[in-house]
Amino acid sequence: MKLHEKEHIRVLIADDEVEFLETLGTRMKLRGFEVTTVNSGGAAIQAVKQDTPDVVVLDLKMPDLNGLEVLAKLKEDFPALEVIILTGQGSFEAGKEGMEKGAFDYIMKPVDLNQLIGKIEEAYAKAKAA
Amino acid sequence: MKVYIALKEWLAFHAMKVLGESYNKRNYKKIRISLFTTIMAITIIPLLIIAGLSYNNYTDLLIKEERDQLESRLDKSIRAISAMVENLRTVIEFSAWQDRYDELTVQANLEKLFIRLKQHYTFFADIGVIDSRGIQQSYYGPYDLEGTDYSNEQWFTEVLESGIYISNIYLGFREVPHFTIAVSSFDPNSRKKWVLRTTIDASTLQNFINTIKTARIDDLFLIDQIGIMQTSSSLYGEAFSKYKEKRAVSNEYSFYQTEENYFHGSGRIKKTPWTLVLVEKEYVHQQDWLDFRNRLATIVLLCIIIDVLIVYGLANLLTNLIRSSDEIHMKLLQEAEHSDRLASIGRLAAGVGHEINNPLAIINEKAGLAGDILAVSPDFENKEMITGCLESIGKSVKRCSTITHRLLGFAKRQEVKNQQLQVNDVLKEVMVFLDNLMLTNRIKIESQLQYDLPEVFSDQMQLQQVFLNILNNAIDAVGKDGHISIMSHVVAGDVRVVIQDDGPGITDDVLPHIFEPFFTTKDSDKGTGLGLSITYGLIKKLGGDITVRSQVGKGTAFTITIPVEN
Repeated sequence: MKLHEKEHIRVLIADDEVEFLETLGTRMKLRGFEVTTVNSGGAAIQAVKQDTPDVVVLDLKMPDLNGLEVLAKLKEDFPALEVIILTGQGSFEAGKEGMEKGAFDYIMKPVDLNQLIGKIEEAYAKAKAA
Repeated sequence: MKVYIALKEWLAFHAMKVLGESYNKRNYKKIRISLFTTIMAITIIPLLIIAGLSYNNYTDLLIKEERDQLESRLDKSIRAISAMVENLRTVIEFSAWQDRYDELTVQANLEKLFIRLKQHYTFFADIGVIDSRGIQQSYYGPYDLEGTDYSNEQWFTEVLESGIYISNIYLGFREVPHFTIAVSSFDPNSRKKWVLRTTIDASTLQNFINTIKTARIDDLFLIDQIGIMQTSSSLYGEAFSKYKEKRAVSNEYSFYQTEENYFHGSGRIKKTPWTLVLVEKEYVHQQDWLDFRNRLATIVLLCIIIDVLIVYGLANLLTNLIRSSDEIHMKLLQEAEHSDRLASIGRLAAGVGHEINNPLAIINEKAGLAGDILAVSPDFENKEMITGCLESIGKSVKRCSTITHRLLGFAKRQEVKNQQLQVNDVLKEVMVFLDNLMLTNRIKIESQLQYDLPEVFSDQMQLQQVFLNILNNAIDAVGKDGHISIMSHVVAGDVRVVIQDDGPGITDDVLPHIFEPFFTTKDSDKGTGLGLSITYGLIKKLGGDITVRSQVGKGTAFTITIPVEN
């Protein structure tokens, strides 16, 4: 079952909240994205190394490595990779730091899926243009 | 160290007790009274002591002087009476010259002597010659006393022994007061003692005392050995009444004061049975004394009145100072408490927001997924209703998330972008922004902006947010056809903006809570109760302050103070 046929954008979603992660993944798959989900920072880095996605959606608060650390590591190894921070944490500093460390954007949970998809497409377009 | 802490606590506890427990419970009336009484006591007591001492000293001085004068007057009087008695005695002794016994036992000679005496001294009443056995040998006088036997009389023995006898005053046969003077002499012919006895009218004594009594002396009289008055007294009655004062009777010489403020002095007159008593009303210098006392009393009273006035003022001043310092202290404490509470509520709110945000995101995704699945499912019974439910869930999640996002805003420390700016410009921008809304509600806005307001170094966006929030509230408060006034001016170097409305006002029970998060009196769909608390947070972050004054039925005024230098 497919809602829309999209250009195959490969998205990696990292979030420790599994219920959220799986549901979001399913919905994005329904919209034609190629989605990989991981529930920890370490797993996220591993996944990127194995198969680099087009866009990474990253939670900030995770038990092993937090989002900012993952972001720093990813940007170090894959400078062209676009990362969107999606978090329930309202810390402006964290968002700002994320932007400074090269995140594409910063979105707060709960998010309107269309808004998230919009951001992912923007990030994808930017990555392609680079 | 422990001892030090214990000591400090003990001191603090007792200091609190002394100052009336804690300052918010202090009894200012009590403080005023104790201050007043303490200062009064400190100032009045020395004054009274000095006044009392000088009063006493002056009194003592007067009494001493009085006593000295009384003493000298008494002495003079005693000397005068002694001289008079001595004189009488000399006359009689001279008449009873030793060898005259034979001569005087002849009636005619005695008569001649008596007449001669009477020529000089009219007060002689009679005269008699008594032989050594006590038999009156000759007599001249109003009674027939010749041959009377005096041998058993007490006075006769006495006169033979000591040569002279002066009697008390007594009432004779004629009921006239008399006294007797008898002298003994030695007859060389018979080689026996004989006695010449004369009776003298006591009015002589009375007249003499009246003569020596001066105007200053209030009373002067003679008493005998047992206190019977020999002459009349103006204070104690006629002769032969009893004089009560024992001291005068028993002592040779005595001075004393009686309860009626009389000064008594008494002294024995030698060789007589009499004691002279002199009475003077106390205080020689009556007028001086009264003057002094009145002057002293006036001065003391004046001092006390002035003292009371000054001390009353001082006590009031001090009490008011304590009270105002307490009030300032209390206000600071309350303010600190308030902002502390707001800060902790803010932190709590942010925490709650964060905790709710994650499950909210899950609800959102689950409902979204369910909607996605429904969208691609074939039609079935109730599909539309379920879709509707899911949409409603989505909307509610959105509503919740606006709240949680605002809550998280408390923790959000938005970057302050300071720049030189004109507060009036910010206000004008906000007014333009709200123009449309005010026009629809026919709200009149009056602005009095001080044209030469100094520029402030602050964050324009955040200031806009502050003014916008307050003005939004004002617009909500006034409703249609209301008035809002905006004023800006400089107060103590800071820029102050007052936004005032003529809305219904805020009641006293609501007023203290308006800056607390979630506190709202608006309908739940109109306000989250976060606007003013965010405004408060923003203005505090900019180093300023916001206060509110409101009167029910008259309106509300918010005063926002912005420091020139953030």
